[in-house]
Amino acid sequence: MSGAVFPIATLASSLLVAALIFLLPERAWWARTSLNLGASLIKLGLVGWMVWGLHRGLDYAVEFPVVAGVSFVLRADALGIMFAGLSSLLWLFTTLYAIGYLEDSPNRKRFFGFFSLCVASTLGISLAGNLFTFLIFYEMLTLSTYPLVVHRGTPKALAAGAVYLRYTLSGGLALLLGVVALHVIAGDIHFGEREVLADLGAEWHPLLVSIFVLMILGLGVKTALVPLHGWLPKAMVAPAPVSALLHAVAVVKAGAFGIVRLVYDVYGIELSYQLGLMHGLVAIAAVTIIYGSLRALAQQELKARLAFSTVSQVSYIVLGVGLFGPLATVAALSHLLHQGLMKVTLFFCAGNYAEELGIHRIDELDGAGWRMPLTSFAFTVGALGMIGLPPTVGFISKWYLGVGSIEAGMPWLLAVLVTSSLLNAAYFLPILHRLWFRVGPAHGYGDWPDERRLGRMETSGWLLWPTLATAAFSLLAGLLASMPFSPLEWAARVASQEYVL
Amino acid sequence: MAMLPEAVMVALDVMLAVLLLVMALACLVDRCLWRACRNFVCFAVLMALTWWQLGSPLLAVVEAVLGAMLTGLSLFFALGIDAHHRLPRRDTLPGSPPSGLKSWLLPLAWLVMATTASLLLLVDDAGTSFSEALMVLDLPTIVGLVIIGLGLWAFTRHRHLLRRLLAFNVLGSGVFLVLAGVTGPRIEAQALILAGLIVALLGSLLGASLIRRLFLLDGRLALGSGPGGAE
Amino acid sequence: MNDLAALGDEALKLTPSLWAAVWLVLGGPLLLGLVALYWPPRRMLTVVAAYLPVMAATGWLIVTVAASGPRHASLALGELTLTWYLDGLATLLMLLTQTVLLASAVFAVGYCRAAELPSRPAAWLWPLLGGLSSGLTLIWIAADLLSLYVGLELMGLCAVALMLLPGEADALAAGMRYLLYALVGSLAWLLGVSLLLGAWGRLDLAGLAAVAEPGTVTTIAVALLSAGLLLKASIFPLHAWLAPVHGAAWIPVSAVHAALVIKASFVILLKLWLLLVPGQVVAAWGLGGLGSLAVLWGGLLAWRASGLKALVAYSTVGQLGYLMLAFPLLIGTSDAVATLAWRGTWLHLAGHALAKAAMFMAVGSLVLATGRSKLSELAGTSRRLPLPLLTFGLAAVTLMGLPPSAGFTAKWLLLQAAMQGQQWIWILVLVLGTMLTAAYLFRMFRHSFDEQAPPLTYRRLPPGMDLVPLLLALAALALGLVADLPLNFLSAQGASS
Repeated sequence: MSGAVFPIATLASSLLVAALIFLLPERAWWARTSLNLGASLIKLGLVGWMVWGLHRGLDYAVEFPVVAGVSFVLRADALGIMFAGLSSLLWLFTTLYAIGYLEDSPNRKRFFGFFSLCVASTLGISLAGNLFTFLIFYEMLTLSTYPLVVHRGTPKALAAGAVYLRYTLSGGLALLLGVVALHVIAGDIHFGEREVLADLGAEWHPLLVSIFVLMILGLGVKTALVPLHGWLPKAMVAPAPVSALLHAVAVVKAGAFGIVRLVYDVYGIELSYQLGLMHGLVAIAAVTIIYGSLRALAQQELKARLAFSTVSQVSYIVLGVGLFGPLATVAALSHLLHQGLMKVTLFFCAGNYAEELGIHRIDELDGAGWRMPLTSFAFTVGALGMIGLPPTVGFISKWYLGVGSIEAGMPWLLAVLVTSSLLNAAYFLPILHRLWFRVGPAHGYGDWPDERRLGRMETSGWLLWPTLATAAFSLLAGLLASMPFSPLEWAARVASQEYVL
Repeated sequence: MAMLPEAVMVALDVMLAVLLLVMALACLVDRCLWRACRNFVCFAVLMALTWWQLGSPLLAVVEAVLGAMLTGLSLFFALGIDAHHRLPRRDTLPGSPPSGLKSWLLPLAWLVMATTASLLLLVDDAGTSFSEALMVLDLPTIVGLVIIGLGLWAFTRHRHLLRRLLAFNVLGSGVFLVLAGVTGPRIEAQALILAGLIVALLGSLLGASLIRRLFLLDGRLALGSGPGGAE
Repeated sequence: MNDLAALGDEALKLTPSLWAAVWLVLGGPLLLGLVALYWPPRRMLTVVAAYLPVMAATGWLIVTVAASGPRHASLALGELTLTWYLDGLATLLMLLTQTVLLASAVFAVGYCRAAELPSRPAAWLWPLLGGLSSGLTLIWIAADLLSLYVGLELMGLCAVALMLLPGEADALAAGMRYLLYALVGSLAWLLGVSLLLGAWGRLDLAGLAAVAEPGTVTTIAVALLSAGLLLKASIFPLHAWLAPVHGAAWIPVSAVHAALVIKASFVILLKLWLLLVPGQVVAAWGLGGLGSLAVLWGGLLAWRASGLKALVAYSTVGQLGYLMLAFPLLIGTSDAVATLAWRGTWLHLAGHALAKAAMFMAVGSLVLATGRSKLSELAGTSRRLPLPLLTFGLAAVTLMGLPPSAGFTAKWLLLQAAMQGQQWIWILVLVLGTMLTAAYLFRMFRHSFDEQAPPLTYRRLPPGMDLVPLLLALAALALGLVADLPLNFLSAQGASS
């Protein structure tokens, strides 16, 4: 039974922290900070232990019935632990970053309480062992992110929160209907029991297709698939660490991860392919990739450009899922991690520019690379990764996607990939150009919008070190891609499990 | 009593029934509140006599004590008969317009009830026509049904709270009569009526004290907002 | 599934010690209330301590029924025999009632002090709450129409009297309206009972279920009974009295009322329909339709409400609508569907009772702490994250039916039942209802998260007043995850019959 302890302890580490933080008074900075950091380290350790255990063939699962026929299942499988690892790693850095970012601002207790709840939900999503459990944490994520989105309490933030809720709650309802319908047809399907739906007769297929569409509608809202992406750019009003979390692990990734689960572990690739669902996914993903990039090109605000870039980048995952073949699967799964590392770095940098220099618009960035070299270096790493230049992680994702699309017999997708990479370059390279090659306040021309001098280095250490760490991780993940336990290697391991069956 | 000839008994019954109806009507239509309350006490005494006549002395005593005495007292208390601030002697509020929801809902319910009662007796003998069925209905049931009708009409039509309370009490008596008529002399029926009488008394007590307090607080005499109780 | 039909079988009788426990649960709260009339409790712990025996007796009854099956009890009063019946459902409802009542009583201690209620009316709170508890308990265990009548009226009169305690004109007018409706409703009930008694010659539910043939008389009798009950349960379109009554009443009273009192009428309604007219599919769909309208209309009213209490009160109208969906899903459907609906209904009832009580208390604390009662005036309350706001949020999770909560699990079961029974229209109702609920509940947060409002001055409230509703709200959440246990207990008897 010792296998049951780990998933529960991992989940409890953030849930308990959330409860404790709510109980602590607002002033208890030290207690709150040490709780936050302690818990995230413990969790990282627990997840690491489970990764090692899975490697040795151990099984970590816990299950109990909620009502007759429906169980609450937590199970750490290779796919789930991948996402759990990403979220616990990034939680640590985002927490560090948020502590610095929210220095002296009001409502920190509320912020960190819901922050922990949000991470608990993400972990729950990754460890969920069936659709019912997944749904529980998926909705919990909606609820716990709302206070973070409206954290600033400005009319703009409140309006964004309302839009966010409208999208996500409707999406949650669509997902709920789909899950219940699957349940009525086939009972409680644990993730990985692909044969349940595959064994249903052909007369069920039309129904299965409509349920799939319904659930993709539900998951697509969080994944920000076009045309369900409307909430994402609006949610930019949230504080930078929240945006980082939303874009890198929590919300959009939860949706993408859900699609991965749905296709690989509930319907199964074979059945999805038979039902013709994959073509639909590929089409939507291709449209979203191009559309997101085009919109990003038109944005003049840094965070808004990054937001539309997320719309585009997350759909690489969906694209990989939609392509039939192990290489595309590897691409999808590894991009789940790669995009998180790169995007979190980029948002940290955007936050640093805003905090230190008051920069929000891209045309204010002229020469900022000489004022904040380390941050700008991190930004450059992330941006080049997004474009897909070797040897960054982005290159690995795109390479596998390209090979995968040829393998799946859809070479025209190469055109989509190339177009998207060109667009990525078109909206990231001008930023890099401004950072490094334009003269600006750093050279004595004009002033920064709102310079604050937060630390002895280019900015406060709380803000700088997490940024550098995530940038380093995204570099290392690319350079050491063939080492054991790298995202790519682990994704290949998962993919081999999917295609053995 | 047993020595009286059959015809006299029937005549007594009919007389009592007619008196009951007259008193109920007098209690419900009189706009003079004091007289309406007095008429209600008379009605309750007649009800007690009816229970006696129907062979349940227990109910007669209870009706006399609870219905006539205590309910009467509470009504007069609501009027403020011995206090400084009396309720206005007459109800000058206009009746509610006949188009309101309640005014058609309740009479409709009444129609349902009336047909039910007659149908109930038709069940035994499917061949009987409606008029024959009416003949089979015994006197208390018929009187009860008519009183229910009167009470419901008054309850929906009046807006003065005291008159609505009176209407409720009359309505209740009608229901008890139907209950006794439909079920016959059963211990369960008596228990139900007993419980019903107690509930009616408690309700009247609560209602009377409410009416009094509402009037004292801001002169309200009907439901709805504002001192006049305009809906 | 429908264990009510098994009322008449040879269940065990109550042993003397169990009788004592039943009487303790029935009369204990009333006695305690009478004591408190003269010596009102000053500390919350006193209330908890005094209530312990009642809770213990309730627990013991549950354990006994769980261990050895449902129990019959006959109470002879002269020639008159009253029948009571203790099964899983009745004992669980007893537990729910006592929990909510205890929580309200504890909250009331703080409320009386914090709101500086006048001491004389405040003292009357206790015996009336006790009477309410006795009435409710009697309703849960009653197995004949006379006991039900007595319980219903005891509960109803105590509820009215509780509404009158504030003594303000608006409260009194609202109470008067409620009283008149309740009294007329009970007369309709009495007339229905008299028809049943006249037609079949008995009042015990088991006997009636056995002898009553579905026919015009039974139908009309049930229609009369239902009319009275629908009014008391404030089912659309007879809901108009509810919001004014809650708007004026004291918070602990509103909490008990919304959580338990209107549910009692629903429970009786459900029992009567399942026993007496199990074949009336069309009428059951009619009730389901009323419920749907209640969901939508109640939601809209709550959405437009400007007062906090009005919002919570209208939300009750909408949430009761979900319960009414039990009728079309239980009557005339297959066993599998009925089982799902049966469980979903009770889970929803329990979840809503806990969450709504918690929400009323949270709202009460917010209003007391800030001195404001309108939604728009609460701008910026979340700045201090007062615990009441968190409680409100947790309760809202249950009401919206979002996971993990009893409301979610219940909605899951109802959705499953509707899909399996192919009654698609209720799915639409559930979906729309959820969205409406979310829309009106998040208005609260939209205001409270506003950071640009001038800061309010806060009053400190006793910590117990924050703790009690928080515990209730957490219980509603937890119930969603451990629903299997009580629900199995519910249907264990159904399997044995």
